[in-house]
Amino acid sequence: MSARFRWFLIIIMFFSTSTSLAQELELWTFAGTHARWFREQAERYQAEVNPDFSLNVVEISGDDMHDRLRISLQSGGAGAPDLADVEQGQFGSFLRGGGDPGFVPLNEFLNSGGYTDKLVAAREMLYTYEGVTYGIEHALTPVVLYYRADIWEGAGVDPQAFVTWDDFIAGARVVREQHPDAVALPVDVNLPGLLLRQRGADFFDAEGNVTIDSELSVDTMNWILELMDEGIAAQMPDGDATWAAFKNGTQIAMVAADWYGGWFKDNAPELAGKWKAAPLPAWEPGGIRTSVRGGTGLTVIQSSSHVDEAMKFMEFAMLSEEGNVRRFELTTLFPPFIPAMSNERLHFPDEYFSGQDLGALFADVGPSVPAQYQSPYRTQLNDLRDAAWQDLMDGRRSAQDVFSEIATIIRDEMDF
Amino acid sequence: MYNLNKKIAPYLFISPFFIGYTVFFLVPVIQSLRLSFFRHVGVNAEAQFIGFGNYVRLFTRDSLFIKSIVNTSYYALGSILLIVPLALLLALALHRPGLKFREFFRLFFFTPNITSGVVVGIIFGLVFEEQYGLINNLLLAPLGVEPVRWLRDPNWVMPSIILLGIWKYTGLNALYFLVGLQNVPPSLNEAARMDGANRWQVFRYVTLPMLRPIIAFVLTFAIIGSYNLFAEPVTLVGEAGGPRNAGLTMTMYLYNRGFRELKMGYASAIGYSLALIILLLTVIQLVITRAFRDD
Repeated sequence: MSARFRWFLIIIMFFSTSTSLAQELELWTFAGTHARWFREQAERYQAEVNPDFSLNVVEISGDDMHDRLRISLQSGGAGAPDLADVEQGQFGSFLRGGGDPGFVPLNEFLNSGGYTDKLVAAREMLYTYEGVTYGIEHALTPVVLYYRADIWEGAGVDPQAFVTWDDFIAGARVVREQHPDAVALPVDVNLPGLLLRQRGADFFDAEGNVTIDSELSVDTMNWILELMDEGIAAQMPDGDATWAAFKNGTQIAMVAADWYGGWFKDNAPELAGKWKAAPLPAWEPGGIRTSVRGGTGLTVIQSSSHVDEAMKFMEFAMLSEEGNVRRFELTTLFPPFIPAMSNERLHFPDEYFSGQDLGALFADVGPSVPAQYQSPYRTQLNDLRDAAWQDLMDGRRSAQDVFSEIATIIRDEMDF
Repeated sequence: MYNLNKKIAPYLFISPFFIGYTVFFLVPVIQSLRLSFFRHVGVNAEAQFIGFGNYVRLFTRDSLFIKSIVNTSYYALGSILLIVPLALLLALALHRPGLKFREFFRLFFFTPNITSGVVVGIIFGLVFEEQYGLINNLLLAPLGVEPVRWLRDPNWVMPSIILLGIWKYTGLNALYFLVGLQNVPPSLNEAARMDGANRWQVFRYVTLPMLRPIIAFVLTFAIIGSYNLFAEPVTLVGEAGGPRNAGLTMTMYLYNRGFRELKMGYASAIGYSLALIILLLTVIQLVITRAFRDD
């Protein structure tokens, strides 16, 4: 062995040991708000727990990130990160075939740490299949009515006083006398499902049956279509154009979850001080004043070579009062972690929302958040809905027709 | 020893290509042919042999697959009937003797082709947007034309994608034609002129026949490229293909089934059907352009 070759080996060994000492983990997320919080939590973890820890937070756009993750897992974990955010609507597709999705099962970890009872069970259902839990939810996702306080109150209408959707419609008519082009209910593909859950149903039931063609589901869609005919509701522009419609005052309200508050701040900073939020109007007096929309769970990837460290970081960030409170402060995601819900730091006047205490509103409606059930067929159902959506919006096809067709296709798929 | 080395050495030198080809191409191709006869769904799933089950379902019960074939063929026709003639016209314009800024124009028309499909898709999303988009507001509104619902009207989705295709691929194809035009000996044109042919006759009976190999090449690649269309429609209208799946191409459908729904066997069957369709069309096209004829 020549001297030069020996030196080469020594250098190689030096580098390989030095890299194994520092633990660099990779985390994939598709939400800028989450990335911001993860980076801060990683710094805190490094300072307080493990000085050798570092976290590379990679932001990839929504569909793309989930596709890449599925492909990595399918090929045995090649190129997969150590931790990944998985959006609840996408989670089902990882369960196709009823097999192992490639995420680390968390049941034992959650039970032994005493966390099972500290997480809102309805939210964890989204990441649980056949009794095995694979993800921890970021947000309670209570849905509220965000509204442009300057416009509504300027027209003499106070959305805080709405009790039912009929009150909302009456109020919107008053506002539209002054602002004929104003859209009080922007409609996107997620609205029908969200309103249906407020009414206690969903596109899939607890047993995994497809129920998008139920009478209640069709009725909810028709209710939206009637409001569109009157002009109170209108289809949202796609992509970034929707922010233009908020900024120029066309869209004056939004039925959306806690996380949308953070999106407003990121995408329409110039509207600071003009927004407020109110509980969702109910379908009948005394009815539920909220719904759920969206949600994302953090998962640990089986093929990671740092599973233990990843779990410790997950516990530190996702299952601590401090981590949950800090997430709300940074992103308006209301904690699904029960011990954090009563923390007084969740209550602060939010400048963006006209000094309103959003935490108080979410905490108020939070306990009545309805459940949402997971299905391996949700991604496919969403694709079918998306393809038929424009026909529904333009009135070329009826809700009954579209929803029956989707249900038939999914049932056929379940049999194949 | 010396002789043995001499015999092995050449094979060793060319082996990297064949090893790479086998590992990254041949094995997956054969593996996916095998997979297309299996039901294989999910991340850590077991494959289950079902014979031609995937193919039967694909061609008899899957209306979305048929739709994706129709959509892709629509785009292919658009690209052949619009992009190829436009590219030829552009090449003729660029070939004119005494054209100023020739290098600039060549670069100008070629640049779209080296821009990533995803970037192009995102930018054209803003161009085609109904309320705030560039075309409706800056081009059509001043002319008093009603806003076109480019990406929301199922009938306009494919024309929008073809418009994007024209912007992106005309320049590249013009470059191929330009090379072909430069290889037409000027003496032939002169001879035809001397015999009294007018400009159209020179083009029709001299230039065009001389371009036949280039036309065959451009058409072949237009067909293959059209049937492989993926990044632009995905970013423009989403993975489901937009309203009524009007923008759903065959590769998008393969991708959705394989990588979003994790139905690997079914996706393999789509892949093989796609390969067969392209092969068939290419052969038909080569026969029509008489590319096999001996000259």
